[in-house]
Amino acid sequence: MSAIMQPGFWIFILTMSGIYGIFGLGLQVQYGVGGILNFGHVGMMALSSYTMAILVISHGVNFWIAAAAGVAVAALGGAFLGLTTLRLRGDYFSIVSIAFSEIVRYVIFNSDNITGGTQGSLAIPPLGDNYPSYTDAWDSILRHVQDFLQPIFGDIVDREFVMAIFIWATLGILLLIISRVERTSWARVLRATREDDEVPAALGKNVFRFRLQAVIIGSIIGGIAGIYWALESSLLSPEDFLTVVTFYGWMILILSGATKVKGLPLAAIFFGFLYGGTRFFTFFPFSLVDSAQRAYIRIMIIGVVLIILMMKRPQGIFGKRQEMVLE
Amino acid sequence: MNNLILEVNDVAISFGGVRAVNGATLNVHVDSVTSVIGPNGAGKTTLFNLISGAIKPDSGTILFQGMEIQNLLPHKIADRGIIRTFQGAKVIKRLSVLENLMLGGQDNPGDRLTNFFNPKARRAYESASRDRAMELLQQIGIERFANEYAGILSGGQRKLLDLARALMANPTMLLLDEPFAGVNPTLVEKLLEVLQDLRTKHHLTFLLIEHDLETVMNISDRVIVMAEGKVIADGEPSSIYENQAVIDAYLGTRKATS
Repeated sequence: MSAIMQPGFWIFILTMSGIYGIFGLGLQVQYGVGGILNFGHVGMMALSSYTMAILVISHGVNFWIAAAAGVAVAALGGAFLGLTTLRLRGDYFSIVSIAFSEIVRYVIFNSDNITGGTQGSLAIPPLGDNYPSYTDAWDSILRHVQDFLQPIFGDIVDREFVMAIFIWATLGILLLIISRVERTSWARVLRATREDDEVPAALGKNVFRFRLQAVIIGSIIGGIAGIYWALESSLLSPEDFLTVVTFYGWMILILSGATKVKGLPLAAIFFGFLYGGTRFFTFFPFSLVDSAQRAYIRIMIIGVVLIILMMKRPQGIFGKRQEMVLE
Repeated sequence: MNNLILEVNDVAISFGGVRAVNGATLNVHVDSVTSVIGPNGAGKTTLFNLISGAIKPDSGTILFQGMEIQNLLPHKIADRGIIRTFQGAKVIKRLSVLENLMLGGQDNPGDRLTNFFNPKARRAYESASRDRAMELLQQIGIERFANEYAGILSGGQRKLLDLARALMANPTMLLLDEPFAGVNPTLVEKLLEVLQDLRTKHHLTFLLIEHDLETVMNISDRVIVMAEGKVIADGEPSSIYENQAVIDAYLGTRKATS
């Protein structure tokens, strides 16, 4: 029970929650507003993080430019996915989106001499004699902020602490922007398309354009999450981008209530706790089984909690029930 | 000077083996009320889908204000000024009644993401649009539901909303698909009133689909009768009653007995 008492652990949970929160916000724009079921969202995270890492390590590009390029590539990924499949019926988009993220992962997996393949970012060919790291510039920023904050807040301020501040500030800014975007008539048209294509089209709205824009915006946000993911873990591996990660994003979205952004931070923290915190269920009755088995029980508990929540509150924490059940 | 606003020339479309519209030709005059009637399966709604661009014809041309539109996408046709309503009225259930109406606004700067950084233009349009929407809601008498989800409206109210939303788009020509079907007589009176009012005030051209002649008799300048994908009669309402082809289509032809 000792680790659970340490602030470091909770700050770690907060960091992970924030990254997944940003990731989930991308899905919120696509599904919560546009009704677009994207099951390949993790692909955007993979594209941005690997693009950034490769540019920094192999080409010595400035970190900020590389990060922006990473997000841009994620946006292009979204545009490519949207342009090729959004004209099809919704279900086809969902199917192809899974394939898309798996293709991205397999390409990374197999392009050893560019991406480091199975060995991850450690095997990305570095420029000259450098060690293959992409976090140097970011680490120095973190250290500066840490040096600044430590005299004020004391020893609690470590790398992780500063990281959490950056991530949650980003999530806060993105939430502010997106909640404003969702009050525009652009979002109103998109909300109409989630129910019906014909009505908005008959009123002069190019449904395809609205959907494509939603997918690209979601991909940009997913790309930003990817950059933070890369910086947080400080090394990348194709295994980081399994399809299950997309569903973690979905879990947050369902918990928060897909149609409203305001529940997202809380849902992200709740998810972070379920995901990271349940490993400390070492008390009775969990103490009856050994730790390896407990790992599975933990995941089962997450499932049960989600099911109960969906039965009792299908609209999520902050969603409007009426908006889900109207026929 | 050509006073035809819409010209449908020999348009045909098949679904599988069924020729839903089989060489239909018809014209609509500017500022007129033209009704298309016909029995079930005559191809009336398919004709509307062709005009509004929801489906593309296999052959034939459709001209609106002298320009071909049969290959345009639905939103492009709407941009030209043809706005339609739907059979049975389609409302966006999970948008409020007011939002449904505001969806009809044309050239809304807020529809463009680039205008996210131009809140002034967006707000000005939205507030004007909201005023116009409230005005329309008062006209059709459902303003008390403005902020409710449209999904709670009754069938008749949905029809009114569908019509009002089409009007929000400031159309040149309105296509109304069975606006009176399943609507109680009082509401029909109200709808007719709204339509007459629009006609005199805004110089709108109407093309409407109805099931039977009775309903449209008094408001139509012209009646077009369709059966089996073809236009079988076209003329003033009074002349349609005596038309032998129409009587056959509705009552069936008598087989010659030997």
